[in-house]
Amino acid sequence: MEVGFIGLGLMGRPMALNLIKAGHTVHVWARRRESMQPLLEAGAGDCSSPADVARKAAITISMVADAPDVEQVTLGEQGVAAAAAQGHVHVDMSTIAPAAAQSIAVRLAGRGVSMLDAPVSGGEVGAIAGSLTIMVGGEQAAFDRVLPAFQAMGKSVTRIGDAGAGQVAKACNQILTGVGVAAVAEALNFATRSGVDAGKVREALLGGFAYSRILENHGQRMLDRNFRPGFKAWMHQKDMRIVMEEAHRLGLALPSAAATAQMFNAMVGSGLGEDDSIAMLKLLERMSGGEGE
Amino acid sequence: MRVGFIGLGVMGAPMARHLLAAGHEVAVWARRPAAAAALVEAGAMPCATPAALAARSEVVISIVTASADVEALVLGADGLAAGFASGCIHVDMSTIAPETARQLAAHYLQRGVGWLDAPVSGGEQGARDATLAIMVGGEAADLARVQPLFDVLGKRTVHVGPAGAGQVAKACNQMVLVAAIQAVAEAMRLAAAHGVDLAAVRHALMGGSAASKALDIMGQRMVERDFSAGIQARLHHKDFAILMHEACVRGLPLPIAAQVWQQLNALMACGWGQDDTASLLRVLERTSP
Repeated sequence: MEVGFIGLGLMGRPMALNLIKAGHTVHVWARRRESMQPLLEAGAGDCSSPADVARKAAITISMVADAPDVEQVTLGEQGVAAAAAQGHVHVDMSTIAPAAAQSIAVRLAGRGVSMLDAPVSGGEVGAIAGSLTIMVGGEQAAFDRVLPAFQAMGKSVTRIGDAGAGQVAKACNQILTGVGVAAVAEALNFATRSGVDAGKVREALLGGFAYSRILENHGQRMLDRNFRPGFKAWMHQKDMRIVMEEAHRLGLALPSAAATAQMFNAMVGSGLGEDDSIAMLKLLERMSGGEGE
Repeated sequence: MRVGFIGLGVMGAPMARHLLAAGHEVAVWARRPAAAAALVEAGAMPCATPAALAARSEVVISIVTASADVEALVLGADGLAAGFASGCIHVDMSTIAPETARQLAAHYLQRGVGWLDAPVSGGEQGARDATLAIMVGGEAADLARVQPLFDVLGKRTVHVGPAGAGQVAKACNQMVLVAAIQAVAEAMRLAAAHGVDLAAVRHALMGGSAASKALDIMGQRMVERDFSAGIQARLHHKDFAILMHEACVRGLPLPIAAQVWQQLNALMACGWGQDDTASLLRVLERTSP
């Protein structure tokens, strides 16, 4: 299958490489030319703009930072829509607001392009392993066409519903992971400050009802004080902003997510933004008088 | 002074009347001409567009709802910017994002037009009684020229700093005020849970260190269960979106404000957006019968 890929950052690069590995023909473009290099070396086609990508492939994928970037690469002057043939499918795998995804889908539909919002969970590790969880919103027919590409990048692919539904699922995912990281950090910090071995506590809890992937993986990295990203705190802050703005729009109280979002604000404001989101532990240590290094 | 006025809502209408009564030549523009009818009858001159209003005014005052409204008013077709002569001043008394205020000030600066962001605190009552607190961002020289108008509208004007600073002060005001209203509502629930008389608790507290405007005015509304607005809660809800967004952009934790924001979200969901923010009491009652 001919697939175009736009945005080759921490996530996009391994995802595009997995498409090539699965035997698809991939055409790439990225804002920074040097980030295209590894893909070109792996055999990807070299494109000069998102429009150029759309000219070469009837299915295009974008993986960029935020809604304005998605608008730019799809609806901008040199965007996908400028060159897409009738029946083109564009798949945005970035994390953006559900309302923004719906708005872009409507405008793309007006130009004959069918859009899927397909944000992912699993981080850089999942992107490299091809084991991402992919949550999809959009029409069934477009989903069916893109499914082989999804299967090359992820192992759990679910069509949630219509346009925007994928982003709603991703927002739910970010509530759970954001609050979850805070809960694990608070629990381990509680154990340590009580003079108890936090590693033992983690081990004990893994066998019980409080088991979670976050306790298992993120908890271990907290114990190892390995704060290398992973998933950077500033990105989680951005995702929590999307969640809270959506809650505001809906008239929906999310008290725990709101508290956690403020913790992410504090992380970014105090220089922990480039650390993994598990550096929440450092913030908690500092709040209660510790060094948090 | 030749003053233009835009935004004749519950705040703007009494403010414009005070300016007329003080002897200023007031012109008005409203999207729906009917909205301006009462002011025109009182002696204000109607204008066909914001540009026409700006062309005949030394100072234009606007008090509308949101950042986008002010932007459209200034930059839209036949907007204020198209009508102002050099040396005129736009005084925006709406509550909008500080960033929008800064951008509009910069836009005007290129054309020699002055800008003040001058949001107010004191609500409908303060507008009617001309006792508003006015917090100003912009150039001191522009403020000096407009001060006589502010003296008609309010009893206290503070020059907070450059363009945008008035809106920053207003954001702080909203954060403190609504958090205080929430605190009063929680106190009322605590008193009620003990079966203690709410009016007596409020009265006792007003004599001590916890006395505040919120306890005085909103507390009284809660005691009387009078939830008709005052200030519509939806406006506080709107303001919280602005200030929480700024906090996010600046990497600033506001843990209490974040919780108050959620209570406001719940209030909106219950359909009380048009009611007074004292309705935060009713939000609490839904989770503790």
